[in-house]
Amino acid sequence: MNLEGFLACPSCDVLFDISTLEDGESAHCSRCGHFLSTYRADATQRVIAYTSSALMLLALACSYPFMSFKASGLESVMTLPQTALNLWHYGMPGLAFLVAAFIIFIPALVLVLMLALNVALLFERDCDWLRPVGRLIYWLQNWSMVEVFFIGVLVSLVKIGHMATVIMGLSFWAYALFSLFFVLSLAGLDRAQYWQRIEALQS
Amino acid sequence: MRNVAVDAPLTAASQGLASCHLCLKLAAANQQRCPRCGAALHLRKSNSLERTLALLLTACVLYIPANVLPIMVTDQFGQPTPSTIIGGVVLLIDMGSVAIAAVIFFASVMIPVSKLAMMFYLCWSVRKGPAETVRQRTVLYRITEFIGKWSMIDVFVVAILVALINLSNLLVIRPGAAAMAFAGVVIVSMLAAESFDPRLMWDQREKSDE
Repeated sequence: MNLEGFLACPSCDVLFDISTLEDGESAHCSRCGHFLSTYRADATQRVIAYTSSALMLLALACSYPFMSFKASGLESVMTLPQTALNLWHYGMPGLAFLVAAFIIFIPALVLVLMLALNVALLFERDCDWLRPVGRLIYWLQNWSMVEVFFIGVLVSLVKIGHMATVIMGLSFWAYALFSLFFVLSLAGLDRAQYWQRIEALQS
Repeated sequence: MRNVAVDAPLTAASQGLASCHLCLKLAAANQQRCPRCGAALHLRKSNSLERTLALLLTACVLYIPANVLPIMVTDQFGQPTPSTIIGGVVLLIDMGSVAIAAVIFFASVMIPVSKLAMMFYLCWSVRKGPAETVRQRTVLYRITEFIGKWSMIDVFVVAILVALINLSNLLVIRPGAAAMAFAGVVIVSMLAAESFDPRLMWDQREKSDE
Protein backbone atom coordinates (compact mmCIF):
# COMPACT_ATOMS: atom_id res chain seq x y z
CA MET A 1 0.00 0.00 0.00
CA ASN A 2 1.28 3.45 -0.92
CA LEU A 3 1.53 5.63 2.20
CA GLU A 4 2.28 8.90 0.42
CA GLY A 5 -0.07 11.60 1.73
CA PHE A 6 -1.56 9.39 4.46
CA LEU A 7 -1.54 10.10 8.18
CA ALA A 8 -3.03 8.49 11.27
CA CYS A 9 -5.26 10.55 13.58
CA PRO A 10 -3.09 11.38 16.63
CA SER A 11 -6.10 10.84 18.93
CA CYS A 12 -7.58 7.59 17.64
CA ASP A 13 -5.18 6.16 15.01
CA VAL A 14 -7.58 6.00 12.02
CA LEU A 15 -5.85 6.41 8.64
CA PHE A 16 -6.67 9.32 6.32
CA ASP A 17 -5.46 10.58 2.96
CA ILE A 18 -4.76 14.32 3.22
CA SER A 19 -3.12 14.71 -0.20
CA THR A 20 -6.42 15.77 -1.81
CA LEU A 21 -6.85 18.91 0.34
CA GLU A 22 -7.36 22.08 -1.71
CA ASP A 23 -5.91 25.50 -0.81
CA GLY A 24 -7.51 26.73 2.44
CA GLU A 25 -9.21 23.41 3.26
CA SER A 26 -8.85 21.64 6.63
CA ALA A 27 -9.27 17.97 7.48
CA HIS A 28 -10.76 16.62 10.73
CA CYS A 29 -10.93 13.00 11.87
CA SER A 30 -14.32 11.46 11.02
CA ARG A 31 -14.24 9.17 14.06
CA CYS A 32 -13.13 11.40 16.96
CA GLY A 33 -13.28 14.89 15.43
CA HIS A 34 -9.63 15.75 16.05
CA PHE A 35 -8.02 18.34 13.77
CA LEU A 36 -5.66 16.72 11.24
CA SER A 37 -4.26 19.26 8.80
CA THR A 38 -4.81 22.51 6.87
CA TYR A 39 -3.32 23.07 3.44
CA ARG A 40 -2.29 26.59 2.42
CA ALA A 41 -0.37 27.13 -0.78
CA ASP A 42 1.22 30.34 0.57
CA ALA A 43 2.02 29.04 4.09
CA THR A 44 5.77 29.73 3.78
CA GLN A 45 5.37 33.38 2.78
CA ARG A 46 2.79 33.94 5.51
CA VAL A 47 4.93 32.38 8.22
CA ILE A 48 8.02 34.36 7.14
CA ALA A 49 5.99 37.58 7.35
CA TYR A 50 4.51 36.70 10.77
CA THR A 51 7.75 35.46 12.34
CA SER A 52 9.85 38.42 11.20
CA SER A 53 7.20 40.87 12.48
CA ALA A 54 6.99 38.99 15.78
CA LEU A 55 10.79 39.06 16.26
CA MET A 56 10.97 42.83 15.69
CA LEU A 57 8.06 43.40 18.10
CA LEU A 58 9.71 41.22 20.75
CA ALA A 59 12.91 43.28 20.46
CA LEU A 60 10.83 46.45 20.96
CA ALA A 61 8.96 44.88 23.88
CA CYS A 62 12.22 44.08 25.68
CA SER A 63 13.74 47.55 25.31
CA TYR A 64 11.03 49.99 26.47
CA PRO A 65 9.03 50.40 29.71
CA PHE A 66 6.17 47.91 29.95
CA MET A 67 3.97 49.51 32.61
CA SER A 68 4.35 52.10 35.33
CA PHE A 69 2.57 52.30 38.66
CA LYS A 70 1.84 55.58 40.49
CA ALA A 71 0.67 55.97 44.09
CA SER A 72 1.07 58.75 46.66
CA GLY A 73 3.40 60.73 44.43
CA LEU A 74 5.78 57.79 43.96
CA GLU A 75 6.26 55.94 40.71
CA SER A 76 7.73 52.55 39.81
CA VAL A 77 8.42 51.49 36.23
CA MET A 78 8.64 47.90 35.07
CA THR A 79 10.22 46.46 31.94
CA LEU A 80 9.56 43.03 30.46
CA PRO A 81 12.89 41.43 31.50
CA GLN A 82 12.25 42.69 35.06
CA THR A 83 9.34 40.26 35.49
CA ALA A 84 12.04 37.57 35.62
CA LEU A 85 14.96 39.61 37.04
CA ASN A 86 13.05 40.79 40.13
CA LEU A 87 12.15 37.19 41.04
CA TRP A 88 15.89 36.50 40.90
CA HIS A 89 16.63 39.43 43.23
CA TYR A 90 14.11 38.11 45.76
CA GLY A 91 15.93 34.77 45.89
CA MET A 92 13.89 32.66 43.45
CA PRO A 93 16.32 31.96 40.58
CA GLY A 94 14.42 28.82 39.53
CA LEU A 95 11.15 30.68 39.04
CA ALA A 96 12.98 33.59 37.36
CA PHE A 97 14.51 31.15 34.89
CA LEU A 98 11.13 29.53 34.14
CA VAL A 99 9.34 32.85 33.60
CA ALA A 100 12.12 34.15 31.32
CA ALA A 101 12.09 30.90 29.35
CA PHE A 102 8.29 30.76 28.91
CA ILE A 103 7.75 34.37 27.85
CA ILE A 104 11.00 35.43 26.14
CA PHE A 105 13.62 32.76 25.39
CA ILE A 106 11.53 29.83 24.16
CA PRO A 107 9.28 32.04 21.96
CA ALA A 108 12.34 33.86 20.55
CA LEU A 109 14.13 30.58 19.80
CA VAL A 110 11.01 29.07 18.18
CA LEU A 111 10.63 32.19 15.99
CA VAL A 112 14.28 32.20 14.85
CA LEU A 113 14.13 28.47 14.04
CA MET A 114 10.80 28.88 12.21
CA LEU A 115 12.21 31.75 10.17
CA ALA A 116 15.29 29.68 9.21
CA LEU A 117 13.17 26.64 8.30
CA ASN A 118 10.79 28.70 6.16
CA VAL A 119 13.56 30.57 4.35
CA ALA A 120 15.15 27.19 3.49
CA LEU A 121 11.79 25.91 2.23
CA LEU A 122 11.16 29.10 0.24
CA PHE A 123 14.45 28.73 -1.64
CA GLU A 124 14.09 24.92 -1.73
CA ARG A 125 17.47 24.45 -0.09
CA ASP A 126 18.08 21.04 1.38
CA CYS A 127 20.23 21.47 4.50
CA ASP A 128 21.41 18.96 7.10
CA TRP A 129 19.92 21.00 9.93
CA LEU A 130 16.34 20.92 8.64
CA ARG A 131 15.32 17.75 10.50
CA PRO A 132 16.78 18.57 13.94
CA VAL A 133 15.45 22.15 13.67
CA GLY A 134 12.00 20.85 12.72
CA ARG A 135 12.01 18.46 15.68
CA LEU A 136 13.06 21.23 18.06
CA ILE A 137 10.32 23.59 16.83
CA TYR A 138 7.51 21.08 17.29
CA TRP A 139 8.90 19.98 20.64
CA LEU A 140 9.38 23.52 22.02
CA GLN A 141 6.13 25.07 20.81
CA ASN A 142 4.09 23.51 23.66
CA TRP A 143 6.31 25.34 26.13
CA SER A 144 5.92 28.92 24.98
CA MET A 145 3.37 30.85 27.02
CA VAL A 146 3.21 34.19 25.24
CA GLU A 147 -0.58 34.41 25.10
CA VAL A 148 -0.93 33.13 28.69
CA PHE A 149 1.42 35.87 29.91
CA PHE A 150 -0.55 38.50 28.06
CA ILE A 151 -3.79 37.42 29.73
CA GLY A 152 -1.82 37.46 33.02
CA VAL A 153 -0.99 41.13 32.35
CA LEU A 154 -4.68 41.90 31.89
CA VAL A 155 -5.57 40.03 35.11
CA SER A 156 -2.92 42.02 37.03
CA LEU A 157 -4.37 45.26 35.67
CA VAL A 158 -7.81 44.27 36.96
CA LYS A 159 -6.33 43.34 40.35
CA ILE A 160 -4.47 46.60 40.96
CA GLY A 161 -6.46 48.99 38.79
CA HIS A 162 -8.44 50.30 41.78
CA MET A 163 -5.35 50.78 43.98
CA ALA A 164 -3.47 53.28 41.87
CA THR A 165 -2.86 54.66 38.42
CA VAL A 166 -1.28 52.19 36.01
CA ILE A 167 0.14 53.53 32.75
CA MET A 168 0.89 51.24 29.82
CA GLY A 169 4.21 51.83 28.07
CA LEU A 170 5.27 51.26 24.46
CA SER A 171 6.48 47.78 25.35
CA PHE A 172 2.98 46.74 26.46
CA TRP A 173 1.51 47.45 23.01
CA ALA A 174 4.50 45.84 21.30
CA TYR A 175 4.02 42.69 23.39
CA ALA A 176 0.27 42.63 22.62
CA LEU A 177 1.02 42.68 18.87
CA PHE A 178 3.88 40.23 19.37
CA SER A 179 1.43 37.74 21.01
CA LEU A 180 -0.90 38.08 18.03
CA PHE A 181 1.84 37.47 15.42
CA PHE A 182 3.32 34.64 17.47
CA VAL A 183 -0.02 32.80 17.58
CA LEU A 184 -0.49 33.40 13.84
CA SER A 185 3.02 32.05 13.09
CA LEU A 186 2.39 28.82 15.01
CA ALA A 187 -1.04 28.42 13.43
CA GLY A 188 0.57 28.68 9.98
CA LEU A 189 3.06 25.90 10.70
CA ASP A 190 0.89 22.88 9.95
CA ARG A 191 2.69 19.79 11.24
CA ALA A 192 1.74 17.27 8.53
CA GLN A 193 2.19 19.70 5.61
CA TYR A 194 5.57 21.02 6.76
CA TRP A 195 7.08 17.60 7.34
CA GLN A 196 5.89 16.43 3.92
CA ARG A 197 7.64 19.42 2.38
CA ILE A 198 10.85 18.82 4.34
CA GLU A 199 10.77 15.20 3.19
CA ALA A 200 10.14 16.24 -0.43
CA LEU A 201 13.23 18.49 -0.35
CA GLN A 202 15.44 15.66 0.81
CA SER A 203 14.39 13.02 -1.70
CA MET B 1 -10.74 4.77 1.46
CA ARG B 2 -11.58 7.98 3.30
CA ASN B 3 -15.30 7.20 3.21
CA VAL B 4 -14.87 3.68 4.48
CA ALA B 5 -13.18 4.93 7.64
CA VAL B 6 -16.41 5.68 9.54
CA ASP B 7 -18.03 2.24 9.27
CA ALA B 8 -14.95 0.05 9.45
CA PRO B 9 -12.11 2.21 10.77
CA LEU B 10 -8.77 1.24 9.34
CA THR B 11 -6.22 2.09 12.01
CA ALA B 12 -2.49 2.51 11.54
CA ALA B 13 -1.81 -0.12 14.22
CA SER B 14 -4.00 -2.69 12.43
CA GLN B 15 -1.75 -2.24 9.36
CA GLY B 16 1.43 -2.69 11.39
CA LEU B 17 2.17 1.04 11.11
CA ALA B 18 3.31 3.45 13.81
CA SER B 19 2.53 7.16 13.52
CA CYS B 20 5.49 9.33 14.55
CA HIS B 21 4.40 11.44 17.53
CA LEU B 22 6.45 14.36 16.29
CA CYS B 23 6.06 14.55 12.50
CA LEU B 24 3.04 12.23 11.94
CA LYS B 25 4.99 10.07 9.47
CA LEU B 26 3.62 6.53 9.03
CA ALA B 27 6.34 3.92 9.25
CA ALA B 28 6.65 0.18 9.86
CA ALA B 29 6.16 -0.26 13.62
CA ASN B 30 9.29 -2.40 14.09
CA GLN B 31 11.63 0.55 13.42
CA GLN B 32 13.44 2.29 16.30
CA ARG B 33 13.49 5.79 14.80
CA CYS B 34 11.21 7.72 12.50
CA PRO B 35 12.70 7.56 8.97
CA ARG B 36 11.54 11.13 8.27
CA CYS B 37 12.39 13.23 11.35
CA GLY B 38 14.57 10.88 13.40
CA ALA B 39 12.47 10.98 16.61
CA ALA B 40 11.99 7.75 18.61
CA LEU B 41 9.18 5.70 17.05
CA HIS B 42 6.54 3.91 19.14
CA LEU B 43 3.25 2.25 18.26
CA ARG B 44 1.79 3.86 21.42
CA LYS B 45 3.44 6.23 23.90
CA SER B 46 5.57 3.96 26.11
CA ASN B 47 4.34 3.18 29.66
CA SER B 48 1.70 5.84 29.09
CA LEU B 49 -0.59 5.04 32.04
CA GLU B 50 2.19 4.47 34.58
CA ARG B 51 3.94 7.71 33.62
CA THR B 52 0.74 9.73 33.58
CA LEU B 53 -0.35 8.44 37.00
CA ALA B 54 3.10 9.03 38.53
CA LEU B 55 3.11 12.63 37.24
CA LEU B 56 -0.47 13.20 38.41
CA LEU B 57 0.42 12.06 41.94
CA THR B 58 3.45 14.39 41.91
CA ALA B 59 1.17 17.26 40.89
CA CYS B 60 -1.22 16.44 43.76
CA VAL B 61 1.65 16.46 46.28
CA LEU B 62 2.96 19.81 44.95
CA TYR B 63 -0.55 21.22 45.11
CA ILE B 64 -0.43 21.13 48.95
CA PRO B 65 2.47 23.61 49.44
CA ALA B 66 1.06 25.64 46.54
CA ASN B 67 -2.06 26.31 48.62
CA VAL B 68 -0.68 26.31 52.17
CA LEU B 69 2.35 28.58 51.64
CA PRO B 70 1.98 32.27 50.73
CA ILE B 71 2.06 33.00 46.99
CA MET B 72 3.10 36.60 47.63
CA VAL B 73 3.93 38.96 50.49
CA THR B 74 2.72 42.56 50.48
CA ASP B 75 4.96 44.97 52.44
CA GLN B 76 2.92 48.08 53.24
CA PHE B 77 4.79 50.72 55.30
CA GLY B 78 7.26 47.97 56.22
CA GLN B 79 4.55 45.62 57.51
CA PRO B 80 4.58 42.27 55.69
CA THR B 81 1.23 40.61 54.91
CA PRO B 82 1.58 37.12 53.39
CA SER B 83 -1.33 35.92 51.22
CA THR B 84 -2.20 32.47 49.94
CA ILE B 85 -4.18 31.75 46.75
CA ILE B 86 -7.43 31.23 48.69
CA GLY B 87 -6.57 34.20 50.96
CA GLY B 88 -6.40 36.46 47.91
CA VAL B 89 -9.85 35.33 46.81
CA VAL B 90 -11.32 35.93 50.30
CA LEU B 91 -9.70 39.39 50.40
CA LEU B 92 -11.29 40.31 47.06
CA ILE B 93 -14.74 39.21 48.31
CA ASP B 94 -14.26 41.30 51.48
CA MET B 95 -13.40 44.32 49.33
CA GLY B 96 -16.62 43.80 47.36
CA SER B 97 -15.05 42.67 44.04
CA VAL B 98 -17.09 39.45 43.88
CA ALA B 99 -16.83 39.18 40.08
CA ILE B 100 -13.01 39.38 40.06
CA ALA B 101 -12.88 36.98 43.02
CA ALA B 102 -15.00 34.51 41.06
CA VAL B 103 -12.71 34.73 38.01
CA ILE B 104 -9.58 34.21 40.13
CA PHE B 105 -11.19 31.35 42.08
CA PHE B 106 -12.20 29.69 38.82
CA ALA B 107 -8.75 30.09 37.20
CA SER B 108 -6.55 29.25 40.21
CA VAL B 109 -8.60 26.64 42.08
CA MET B 110 -11.35 25.14 39.91
CA ILE B 111 -9.31 24.64 36.71
CA PRO B 112 -6.21 22.99 38.26
CA VAL B 113 -8.31 20.71 40.52
CA SER B 114 -10.75 19.66 37.81
CA LYS B 115 -7.87 19.12 35.37
CA LEU B 116 -6.24 16.66 37.78
CA ALA B 117 -9.59 14.96 38.45
CA MET B 118 -10.28 14.68 34.70
CA MET B 119 -6.86 13.12 34.05
CA PHE B 120 -7.37 10.56 36.85
CA TYR B 121 -10.76 9.69 35.38
CA LEU B 122 -9.26 9.29 31.88
CA CYS B 123 -6.55 6.94 33.19
CA TRP B 124 -9.18 4.87 35.00
CA SER B 125 -11.44 4.87 31.93
CA VAL B 126 -8.81 3.31 29.64
CA ARG B 127 -9.54 -0.11 31.18
CA LYS B 128 -12.98 0.32 32.78
CA GLY B 129 -14.71 3.13 30.89
CA PRO B 130 -17.94 2.54 28.92
CA ALA B 131 -17.12 1.98 25.22
CA GLU B 132 -19.90 4.28 23.96
CA THR B 133 -18.36 7.38 25.62
CA VAL B 134 -14.93 7.04 24.00
CA ARG B 135 -15.49 9.99 21.65
CA GLN B 136 -16.55 12.27 24.54
CA ARG B 137 -13.55 11.08 26.54
CA THR B 138 -11.24 11.96 23.66
CA VAL B 139 -12.73 15.47 23.62
CA LEU B 140 -12.25 15.64 27.41
CA TYR B 141 -8.59 14.76 26.92
CA ARG B 142 -8.18 17.48 24.27
CA ILE B 143 -9.68 19.99 26.74
CA THR B 144 -7.27 19.02 29.55
CA GLU B 145 -4.40 19.26 27.08
CA PHE B 146 -5.53 22.69 25.90
CA ILE B 147 -6.09 24.30 29.32
CA GLY B 148 -2.81 22.97 30.74
CA LYS B 149 -0.62 26.01 30.24
CA TRP B 150 -3.37 28.51 31.12
CA SER B 151 -3.02 27.73 34.84
CA MET B 152 0.37 29.47 34.65
CA ILE B 153 -1.54 32.81 34.69
CA ASP B 154 -1.27 32.95 38.50
CA VAL B 155 2.49 32.62 38.44
CA PHE B 156 2.75 35.34 35.79
CA VAL B 157 0.47 37.64 37.80
CA VAL B 158 2.84 37.27 40.77
CA ALA B 159 5.88 37.94 38.54
CA ILE B 160 4.21 41.06 37.09
CA LEU B 161 3.06 42.46 40.46
CA VAL B 162 6.52 41.86 41.97
CA ALA B 163 8.17 43.71 39.08
CA LEU B 164 5.61 46.52 38.93
CA ILE B 165 4.85 47.36 42.56
CA ASN B 166 8.10 48.48 44.07
CA LEU B 167 7.63 51.82 45.88
CA SER B 168 10.64 51.65 48.26
CA ASN B 169 9.23 51.93 51.83
CA LEU B 170 5.61 52.55 50.94
CA LEU B 171 4.48 49.44 49.10
CA VAL B 172 6.52 46.46 47.91
CA ILE B 173 5.30 43.05 46.72
CA ARG B 174 7.63 40.05 47.13
CA PRO B 175 7.11 36.54 45.69
CA GLY B 176 6.22 33.67 48.05
CA ALA B 177 7.37 30.04 47.98
CA ALA B 178 3.95 28.87 46.77
CA ALA B 179 4.62 30.54 43.39
CA MET B 180 7.39 28.00 42.66
CA ALA B 181 5.24 25.10 43.91
CA PHE B 182 2.32 26.25 41.76
CA ALA B 183 4.58 26.53 38.69
CA GLY B 184 5.63 22.96 39.50
CA VAL B 185 1.99 21.81 39.60
CA VAL B 186 1.36 23.35 36.18
CA ILE B 187 4.52 21.94 34.55
CA VAL B 188 4.07 18.44 36.00
CA SER B 189 0.40 18.28 35.00
CA MET B 190 1.30 19.46 31.47
CA LEU B 191 3.82 16.60 31.31
CA ALA B 192 1.11 14.22 32.57
CA ALA B 193 -1.26 15.29 29.78
CA GLU B 194 1.58 14.89 27.27
CA SER B 195 2.34 11.32 28.38
CA PHE B 196 -1.27 10.15 28.21
CA ASP B 197 -2.13 8.36 24.97
CA PRO B 198 -5.81 8.75 23.96
CA ARG B 199 -5.43 5.97 21.38
CA LEU B 200 -5.36 3.47 24.27
CA MET B 201 -9.05 4.22 24.88
CA TRP B 202 -9.87 3.47 21.23
CA ASP B 203 -7.74 0.29 21.31
CA GLN B 204 -9.79 -0.91 24.27
CA ARG B 205 -13.05 -0.26 22.42
CA GLU B 206 -11.85 -2.14 19.34
CA LYS B 207 -10.95 -5.07 21.59
CA SER B 208 -14.42 -5.09 23.17
CA ASP B 209 -16.06 -4.92 19.70
CA GLU B 210 -14.41 -8.15 18.61
